Amino acid sequence: MSALTAHRAASHCPYCALQCGMTISAEPGQAIAVEPRAFPTNRGGMCQKGWTSPAVLTAPDRLTTPLLRGPSGELEPVSWDIALDHVADTLRRLQVDHGRDAVAVFGGGGLTNEKAYALGKFARAVLRTSRIDYNGRFCMSSAAAAANASLGLDRGLPFPLADLGRADAVLLLGSNLAETMPPAVQHLAEVRDRGGLVVVDPRRSATAALTGELTPGVDGGGRGSQGVHLQPVPGTDLAVLLGLLHVVLMEGLADAGYLAARTTGLQDLRRSVVAWWPERVAAISGVPANALRRTAQLLAAAAPSHGGRGVYVLTGRGVEQSVQGTATVTAAINLALVLGLVGRTGSGYGAITGQGNGQGGREHGQKSDQLPGYRSITDSTARAHVAAVWGIEPDDLPGPGVPAVQLLRELGTPHGARALLVHGSNLLVSAPDATAVAERLRSLDLLVVCDVVPSETARIADVVLPVTQWAEEEGTMTSLEGRVIRRRQALAPPDGVRSELWILAQLAERLGSPVHFDTEPADVFAELARASAGGRADYSGLSHARLDADENAAGPGFFWPVPATDHPGTPRMFLDGFPTADGRARLIAVEHLGPDDQVRSDAPIHLVTGRVLQHYQSGAQTRRVDELNAAVAEPYVELHPVLGFRLGVPDGALVRITSARGWVEAGARWTDRIRPDTVFMPFHFAGVGSVNRVTNDATDPISGMPEFKVCAVELSAVGEEAVA
Amino acid sequence: MTRLVVIGNGMVGSRFVEEIVARDVDGRFDITVLGAEPYRPYNRVLLSEVVAGKVDMLGLELPQADERASVHLGTEVVAIDRAQRVVQTESSSTPYDLLVLATGAAARIPEVPGLDGDLPAGVHPLRTLDDAREIVAATANASRAVVVGGGVLGVEVTCGLVGRGLEVTLVHGGAGVMDRQLAPGAGLVAEASLARLGVRCWTRARTLGISTRNGRVASVAVQGCPPAGTASDTAAAADLEADLVVLAIGTAPACSVAAAAGLATGRGIRVGADLGTADPAIYAIGDCAEPPEGASGLIAQGWAQARQLATQLTGSESDPARQVRTRPSVAVRLGSVIAAREMRGAASAVPAVSGTDVVKLKAHGLDVVAMGVCGGSPPAPDHRVLRLDDAASGRHVEVVVAQGQLVGATCVGSPDLAADLVATYTRRTPVPGDPSMLFLRPVVPSPAVAAGPEQMPARATVCTCNSVSKGDIADSFHAGARSVAEVARATRATTGCGSCTARVCGLLDWLGANEKENADVTVG
Repeated sequence: MSALTAHRAASHCPYCALQCGMTISAEPGQAIAVEPRAFPTNRGGMCQKGWTSPAVLTAPDRLTTPLLRGPSGELEPVSWDIALDHVADTLRRLQVDHGRDAVAVFGGGGLTNEKAYALGKFARAVLRTSRIDYNGRFCMSSAAAAANASLGLDRGLPFPLADLGRADAVLLLGSNLAETMPPAVQHLAEVRDRGGLVVVDPRRSATAALTGELTPGVDGGGRGSQGVHLQPVPGTDLAVLLGLLHVVLMEGLADAGYLAARTTGLQDLRRSVVAWWPERVAAISGVPANALRRTAQLLAAAAPSHGGRGVYVLTGRGVEQSVQGTATVTAAINLALVLGLVGRTGSGYGAITGQGNGQGGREHGQKSDQLPGYRSITDSTARAHVAAVWGIEPDDLPGPGVPAVQLLRELGTPHGARALLVHGSNLLVSAPDATAVAERLRSLDLLVVCDVVPSETARIADVVLPVTQWAEEEGTMTSLEGRVIRRRQALAPPDGVRSELWILAQLAERLGSPVHFDTEPADVFAELARASAGGRADYSGLSHARLDADENAAGPGFFWPVPATDHPGTPRMFLDGFPTADGRARLIAVEHLGPDDQVRSDAPIHLVTGRVLQHYQSGAQTRRVDELNAAVAEPYVELHPVLGFRLGVPDGALVRITSARGWVEAGARWTDRIRPDTVFMPFHFAGVGSVNRVTNDATDPISGMPEFKVCAVELSAVGEEAVA
Repeated sequence: MTRLVVIGNGMVGSRFVEEIVARDVDGRFDITVLGAEPYRPYNRVLLSEVVAGKVDMLGLELPQADERASVHLGTEVVAIDRAQRVVQTESSSTPYDLLVLATGAAARIPEVPGLDGDLPAGVHPLRTLDDAREIVAATANASRAVVVGGGVLGVEVTCGLVGRGLEVTLVHGGAGVMDRQLAPGAGLVAEASLARLGVRCWTRARTLGISTRNGRVASVAVQGCPPAGTASDTAAAADLEADLVVLAIGTAPACSVAAAAGLATGRGIRVGADLGTADPAIYAIGDCAEPPEGASGLIAQGWAQARQLATQLTGSESDPARQVRTRPSVAVRLGSVIAAREMRGAASAVPAVSGTDVVKLKAHGLDVVAMGVCGGSPPAPDHRVLRLDDAASGRHVEVVVAQGQLVGATCVGSPDLAADLVATYTRRTPVPGDPSMLFLRPVVPSPAVAAGPEQMPARATVCTCNSVSKGDIADSFHAGARSVAEVARATRATTGCGSCTARVCGLLDWLGANEKENADVTVG
């Protein structure tokens, strides 16, 4: 299926990185409808978010006119000319008075490749600011940093998702894909039948429950009928991985031939994990020593060197959103390497990308230190190549900027930007220590938000620009597999709405920049392809036309790199070597230090955060869908009955969670699926139940990833003080 | 440059050098390490695992910061000249500005006939890599072993030798095995578990002497309580035939060189809270040291000291590994929690918590974890002690709670619960109002009850991907949906991950049967 008719489009779901294939029907006079279609990642499946996605297109508060904060202090409708002139004039004045870095840009992992590329180009070539970063920093940065260091390249899954079905074991670290991308569970069916699904998660999440009913007995160690669930204390995943590495290396379970032929650094790694024997790891992580041993043995038995069909090691945000996120992913890659998995058909390591275009978003120039094609902004060859494509001098390009948390923290301060352009991100809900972020945003001279609906962030902006969304636009996305796919238009956008491609071209012109901006997505892609040529994420062999032709012919699709127009793409990477100087993967020794915010007497409980099936990210889209709200309308606090008893917090009671940064309130929900020393909150909500008001903005020193996933809190029943 | 000399290249000495090197970014220290053993540093904690054949001896090596430190292996220090600030070995002398003693401890040898002088062939302590190697070599030709000493190491070695197929007798001087950690009730359960593994345990037993034949060990003479089930339950004596004897009666801090240099020693080298001796240029860490809170003999304490001293000597506030703020890792805190607790206890005149750190037995076939207040010492007045004694299934759990916190626990034969208790203990997580809840494993949810369609409430979710309830599916059935595809069209059930398809089929069958029944009733 492909372009179909004028009113039917073969496209993809607007939400997560699984990018389920769907057909959008927008026949005149009929309600817009979507249906799942056969596509390798979703295999005809679709979750409730996908099914209800048309409701976002017709959200009652859809933005259809630019808004400018007027003298009254309210956002008032204005013409595009007035809005764009105001933005351009203010940006020019601020840059004249305070320098180029007085303007910052914040992008998103939901933007198409074309928009992400144009945004990066606008920042570097027009504004010439170094201050650009994006919400993917909160998503994939730890996995990206680790994969680049260890394997020489980061592509979320360096293999097709469907490959999982042939493996004997899959180790899922900090991923709850049964809720975050439900149709992906289909790919685990075979490995579950073989008893080989291993899930590491402090919660008995929907995904952890896929390991099956637990084996009874005093020494169950998380063994289920379809796999193993290890339930570590939050923030100790790295210790668990070091324990698994210890067992594999000390019990002689490693793939010695592979290690000798394809890696370096074994000796240092071996020495570093000798100190992480299972009993020590058990004392830190709360995972029984024998459960660690059995898990390591299960994984080793499934590895090709022991005659198994293969093993995949996969990481998610649960282990990555940590001050030691990069180290944790490095340890996961080390485990995959010592088992001889990476760069072998049927085995491997991968990170499960979260946002719809989290992969493409980080390849084409939104990241503070990168140019299109996953090139480093400090590499002079890369600068020369990209500058030539943009028609500017390499020296006109800024140097590396600062990662998201620092960029946000410095807004409105003498070190930071005074104006911020936000695209596809709802910072007020999604950034850590959100109250502080709100304060920083309010201190700006100019906040410009491009969005489809009045998100919490848009509501405090000075200028709001209404933009097109998924079914109203053409473009490409790069899915969690590194597959470049087409987003297609099924209906015209509402009157008054513009594409960001047009907005950026207009602003460039008004700012007097000689740099040219195409506004047709196919043309922008053609330029992106040229800019990426020779880079790590090389799209130069692709075009909208080639992607369409392949899909029309029911072709296999394209996984980057695709360095030539006759190149078939690269479904599986590293088969012939690693893109490092010597072609070998690096084993890099790492140490466990634990979370930044550790439990203590005035904050003795761990708080972890995550998603629910019915909502997506900050909820700006999904909270506007009645059917999803009917299922999950508000935030809640999951806690164990034992903790509820101790604190006097009954099921359903309002509970306040307090951390060093602030407080949040939501209803208590008792469950036996969480450790009694830990509580869970979903992060899709605004207001007093917005959990990022309490999360920690401490960041990983390598990736800049904030520590969303664990902080120390105190809990109390609301109204308790009044009674006492 | 400050000349820093470290005596000892074991687990603590080498870790200390690593910690210093990580902090000394300006290269202010000129570091020399003198190690008595001829090996690079290795993980001594795992020697019992080598004996058990679970890990390979060659794989025990630990990191050594030898690019920044001048490391001399096989170099025994014979004297410290404090006046001249020089360390002397047999062949050379090394001047120092700062001296750190990390000389560790040596295995204690029973003072009995047959063990005076060089040990006979077949008799080994287990303290060094060489000891482990010799024991492993001896197991090839041995069939009967006696392990002297039933503490943690003795029990680990016992289980390891059993795993190698040897017939093992354990001879322990105390009233019960691991009696430092296990109160009598727990000890009995552990001994019963050992008996099931085929181990014969002598308790309250004295080793009287060792007899040899042709220079090799032949038997061990003991006197004490023989294994349960033997003819005599009271004191008895026996000559236990053995072709391998492992001595595991504990260690003694290696502080003779320090003592000879005039440094104060008690059980170990006496140091203050800053790990310094009375000589401002000399510090001691690890098993050789005796800090105010006492030495636990556990590696966590030594590693915490290594980190503390490195931070102190470099004056570094920042944690080089994190470069954000100083913060001991949980791993280190596992050791320091106890130290801090005891010191604070002493300062505020609250009775100090007895017991040591978290002790985990590494033995295959017997699972013992003990922490904090344990070992049957009389509880303080405000201690609540709860016990779960399930001897028949080899399980015994004891928890000690004070002021809403877990201050001690003993777990025999219950590894999953032990893992939870350790997490609670080390992080001082508040315990439930009724501490008996600690005996349950709350983090393991009960398996879902496989309810048939008739018991399922109408609002029960059948398809989680699309929030479809049993009621929704029944409604679609009554509206005419008869197949999974038709239900999917009406409700979207099964269209997400597809794993509810079987449940939807079951519901359709049930609904169909109901309808037929109702129809039959109507017709009839």
